[in-house]
Amino acid sequence: MVNLTIDDKQVTAPKTATIYEAAKLNGVNIPILCHDKKLKPFGACRMCLVEVEQMKGRQIPACTTPVTEGMIIRTSTPDIVKARKMVLELLLLNHPLDCPVCDKAGDCDLQNLTYEYKVDSNRFTDEKFHHQIDYNNPLIERDMNRCVLCGKCARICDEIVGFGALTFINRGIETKIGCEFEEGLNCEFCGSCISVCPVGSLLARPFKFKARFWSLTKQKSVCGYCGTGCNLTLGVKDNKVLTTLYDENQGFHNGQLCVRGRFGYQFINSDKRLTSPLIRTNGRLTECTWEEALTAVASRLGGGNSVAALATPRLTNEELFLFKKLMLDNVGSSNFDHSAGYAHAALTEGFTRSFGASASPASILDVQKTDLLLVVKTDSYETHPVIGFEINMGVKNKGIKLNIISDKRGKLSKLPGANTLVHSPGSEVAVLNAIAKSILDQKLSDGSAASIPGYAELEKSLAAFTPEAVAATSGISADSIQKIAKDYASVEKALIIFPVGQSYPGHNQEMASAVANLAILTGKIGKEGCGVLCMSEKSNSQGAVDMGFYAQNGGMNGLQILDACKNGTVKTLFIAGENPVVSYPNGANVKAALDAVDFLVVTELFMTDTAAMADVVLPACSFAEKEGTFTSTDRRVQYVKPAIRKNVKCKTDFEIIAALIAKLGGQAPSAPASVFAEIAASTSGYAGMSYVSLQSEGAFAPVNVTPKLVASKAAQTVSAESGKLVMVTGSALYHSGTLSQFGEGPMHVCPEVYVEMSRNDAARFKISEKDIVTVSTATGSIKLKAKVTPRMPEGVVFIPYHFSEAPVNAIWNGSAVTVVSIAK
Amino acid sequence: MNPITPIINGLSITLKHLFMKPVTLQYPDERPKVAARFRGLHALNVSHNKAKCVACYLCPTVCPAKCITVEAGEDDNHDKYAAKYEIDMLRCIFCGYCVEACPVDAIRMTGEFELANYHRKDFIYNKERLLEKK
Ligand code: SF4
Ligand code: SF4
Ligand code: SF4
Ligand code: SF4
Ligand code: SF4
Ligand code: FES
Repeated sequence: MVNLTIDDKQVTAPKTATIYEAAKLNGVNIPILCHDKKLKPFGACRMCLVEVEQMKGRQIPACTTPVTEGMIIRTSTPDIVKARKMVLELLLLNHPLDCPVCDKAGDCDLQNLTYEYKVDSNRFTDEKFHHQIDYNNPLIERDMNRCVLCGKCARICDEIVGFGALTFINRGIETKIGCEFEEGLNCEFCGSCISVCPVGSLLARPFKFKARFWSLTKQKSVCGYCGTGCNLTLGVKDNKVLTTLYDENQGFHNGQLCVRGRFGYQFINSDKRLTSPLIRTNGRLTECTWEEALTAVASRLGGGNSVAALATPRLTNEELFLFKKLMLDNVGSSNFDHSAGYAHAALTEGFTRSFGASASPASILDVQKTDLLLVVKTDSYETHPVIGFEINMGVKNKGIKLNIISDKRGKLSKLPGANTLVHSPGSEVAVLNAIAKSILDQKLSDGSAASIPGYAELEKSLAAFTPEAVAATSGISADSIQKIAKDYASVEKALIIFPVGQSYPGHNQEMASAVANLAILTGKIGKEGCGVLCMSEKSNSQGAVDMGFYAQNGGMNGLQILDACKNGTVKTLFIAGENPVVSYPNGANVKAALDAVDFLVVTELFMTDTAAMADVVLPACSFAEKEGTFTSTDRRVQYVKPAIRKNVKCKTDFEIIAALIAKLGGQAPSAPASVFAEIAASTSGYAGMSYVSLQSEGAFAPVNVTPKLVASKAAQTVSAESGKLVMVTGSALYHSGTLSQFGEGPMHVCPEVYVEMSRNDAARFKISEKDIVTVSTATGSIKLKAKVTPRMPEGVVFIPYHFSEAPVNAIWNGSAVTVVSIAK
Repeated sequence: MNPITPIINGLSITLKHLFMKPVTLQYPDERPKVAARFRGLHALNVSHNKAKCVACYLCPTVCPAKCITVEAGEDDNHDKYAAKYEIDMLRCIFCGYCVEACPVDAIRMTGEFELANYHRKDFIYNKERLLEKK
């Protein structure tokens, strides 16, 4: 701490603070234009000039100057005000002053400062800029005539997003912000640049001219897409969510969002939303009243174990808890599950046996606090982009060592110093086991490791996984494996992260135990910056596990339920929000099961392929219309409240389930709050939480770990016979599950399924970019566009799983690796 | 005071007024002359055959009666224009703030004051009705 004087006030500030930060900390506001708390100091605009007595009254920028002991700072002498006015005058000299038609007005730093400093005339005259405006991009409109060259967009895209799409081009008065070769923007479309632009140079096109900033009601919420659990501010007007707004103080991520969170909100107010219950009469779904629909459903729920349920982990904790109660107490069936069963096995089986807890013993905050990060699959960036930003910042700013084992390269591989080991598809568990073996062989394990239960068995089971043996099957050299083992074991803090989800069947309990073994063996658990983070797929995947909404005590899991539908043991299937026809493996089988089941109820926002097969469809509500809690992948329990009033003809899943409980003679709870009280009382880690305490920010549910070493089985490696390729499926950056298909933003930039392949394979099969190719397996074939990229290893193709058109499950039966043939 | 005096005074005033020009207008046969700054029905100004309004939303923002509805649209040149511009005359208090707020001089108030009508919906003036008549 240093002592200094700001505007005649004696204050203290941390040694590392800049004058701007010190002033802010002590309640003195210094105007800024080019500074952002998330970015490195830059000092481009000179708005933040202050006088420091020790510097003989010279004016210096507050945002780049560190404080020193005894500094005497004045922030608003007449001279400074004059200088700031001059800065503004010079900026306004070439500025178009489009405020009436500029969407930034009302939220514009330049406008606000001009007003505050009363700059109502200009001593100078000059021509305005005549830069061409980019109207063509569907998501980001760029009008460089309004740019004040603060560089924030280019800096955020580089420093945090790690993409580097924007940069200063040209020199002097001609300087502007542009893309490579002055072409259009073709980036991740995370919109971070829009969020920090202090003026109206970068604007969200989907929101263009929709409303004025000041007429929007700002509703805080939590993103409904992935498990990162980013906090959102929704801009609402006339009961419609019109945009997402940036709040730099929100969440661990300081308001950073990915393309899905920022541009994927349109599904909330989509006119494709279902607005009436539908019941199948004479083979067609026809509108009916809620009473008819609920009575019809209730009459079919009496069959005990012949009733089964699948729920999407996008439901709130309260809904899942109540749903489970309905199934166990009122229906009398333990056949319920989410995410096809295998997508949560890493937590419910793997971590449960390895850690004694079905949650990750690490948080997202650990990413930046660790010394070494071991990432399994580069897809971690695509599945959880905002965690990816944390990795970017950690690696670039804090020098965190990044090791990646993956079946393809990816964006993370491009980070400075990233060590990517590309293995043959499906061999990740073997590689992880080989790392464990190597840790044991090199005697790198923690002193206490040998006393942990399961040590002897693990040691025995690892005998088969010598680095040399695994090198032969995985394609990663024994040296590299040994080096990773050494690096991982020898740093003080290390964190392992891996994504799970419906498109990653290989990321199951075996992988969970394999990574857990590494952390336990080296004692990298239970400390800051250490542990294992299993990145669960959807907004409440961790919550669904915490609520116990999965097959337990003899209940059938997701895939077994579908089989049981087919063979007639399950007669009523209740699907809440899942879309198995598209997202579960083996689509034909799913369809056959849903055809075979006597009675299918679906609660949905949209007429999905699954809903179209139902006997009763109930229109449900999105996250923006309901109250409840979501638990993020690192077990942050966060409260969501309705941002808009729901359509009166829809009911939340909570209301639907409560109504069914009442119809079945049970005692239905009145509000989510009372259910949350039950959850807090009965769920480990949730004790003491309440809506009141969660309202301002979420709370971590602690995870208690009892480590155990578990031998994990590696999958057989699959190799393709000549002329064939191996296919892996996964998530695309712009999408999450099948819901993002209804968000316009993601569909603008990634509208259809594609097959990604290496250049060599493309050359071998004479395929070029955008060609339509047929990919087939024994199960079926799909036609899709080719995408040729340098990141795919030879012989491997990647197909994302989100799309209803040409769904990958037509050719994919749920194995981690599928052999496919490909033809033009 | 003589009790008769006030009566005489009063009568003399009455008598004087008997010979003065009457202030009442024989409306509608006689029409009032409204002052130039009279605040009557609004008109949207036109220039280059287009409404000048750029849909900046300042008038609906400032309007104390909240009776203006604007919806912006994007025209073929990517410019902003008022796809919808509506004033609910039943709620308007004719304060003229909208005119003052307009940064592009797109709206003014005319001398038109005969706004009576039979149906509520006829008091909603849309863009078509508000566009200045040449
Ligand atoms: S960027 Fe700000 S000052 Fe410039 S036209 Fe837009 S609102 Fe006005
Ligand atoms: S949208 Fe994101 S990736 Fe694209 S230029 Fe802006 S910050 Fe960079
Ligand atoms: S586009 Fe915006 S953020 Fe980028 S330099 Fe210009 S004013 Fe700054
Ligand atoms: S999709 Fe995930 S990473 Fe993206 S904003 Fe939403 S929660 Fe954050
Ligand atoms: S005159 Fe006053 S009340 Fe009437 S529309 Fe204008 S601002 Fe509103
Ligand atoms: S804010 Fe300090 S120089 Fe721009």
